[in-house]
Amino acid sequence: MSDIERELESELHRILDPVSAMSTIPLRRQPMRRGALRTVLGGAGAALSLKLLSGVAVAAAAVTVAGAATTGSINPVTWGQQVSEHVAECKAKLADGQHGIGDCVSSFANQHGQAVASEARHHGQGNGNGNENSNGSGSSNAHGNNSNANPHAKDKKSQKDPGASTDQEPTDPPIESSVNIPPQR
Amino acid sequence: MQSIDDPLEVKTQVEEYTPGSEADFERLYRNTYRRILGTLITLVRDRAVAEDCTQETYERAFRRWKDWRPESSAEAWLHRIAINVAISDHRHQRLRQAGELVRRLGRPAPGPDPAALAERSDLVQALKKLPTKQAAALVLRHFHGYSNREIAAALAIPEQTVASRLAAARKQLQAVLGR
Repeated sequence: MSDIERELESELHRILDPVSAMSTIPLRRQPMRRGALRTVLGGAGAALSLKLLSGVAVAAAAVTVAGAATTGSINPVTWGQQVSEHVAECKAKLADGQHGIGDCVSSFANQHGQAVASEARHHGQGNGNGNENSNGSGSSNAHGNNSNANPHAKDKKSQKDPGASTDQEPTDPPIESSVNIPPQR
Repeated sequence: MQSIDDPLEVKTQVEEYTPGSEADFERLYRNTYRRILGTLITLVRDRAVAEDCTQETYERAFRRWKDWRPESSAEAWLHRIAINVAISDHRHQRLRQAGELVRRLGRPAPGPDPAALAERSDLVQALKKLPTKQAAALVLRHFHGYSNREIAAALAIPEQTVASRLAAARKQLQAVLGR
């Protein structure tokens, strides 16, 4: 071993032996995991997406169940078509000069309501009341609240004139009763 | 129970580690930290940088821990990573020095770090001026006591390359120190 090697060795030991003898070792620095942020965001995003999807699914299920309870069919179009057809029939049955299809539609609604009553009650009283209310609404609509649906709407405007309406009302007792009944709401 | 204060004792003990095991890596860290730090102190400009480079070494090693092969020495593997970290630090330091020179044009340079002065000697300063790979070969040979063959295995280079690096390093040291 040359002099330079011996000197190098002794100098290295002089400087580095205290390092080797140090009593404490610092804690190892934890590496920043590369995917940590992505994992956190991904996890939160995934959870949020799951919650949103769950919410949408629950809402869709609720609408479907409520619709089925109301119409007796899972297909919401079914009940709408039935109602439309029945309203048209009721209108066709009206004699000239008669107004209001409330009773006619009400009877149909009651039949349907009884048919799905058990299921409707199962899903809450509100649906049952909704059927009841729809009967009233049908009567009201027949009296001109919905001018688009009722071909006699123009006549009803004239019926709002107290003088013109008094002659016709006695011929249609159900209309009279429905007109006089204040809205439940 | 081993004493980790004696580097030679640690070196001669056959430590077994399982690649990918975090507990084993922690044990490796405790067993080798001082020796890796010692190597880096001679390769980088001061102790604070050496400590930072040591942590960087273990971070890099931990990322590749599952790929480490138990057939090779874990400490030699760590030394190879440490030398690469020191080389990276030298490159970064040169960039930093260029930036600092531009920034402090017209101002006097700050004085030397008092803590660093305590560890300074002409020989170690000359060692730090050597190319990192040559200095690392000297430290592994003359401080850690590795043979040329072990250094070759640690650095994944031919044994003849180790010999030539050691010879070149000694020659340059003699020239710098005037001996």
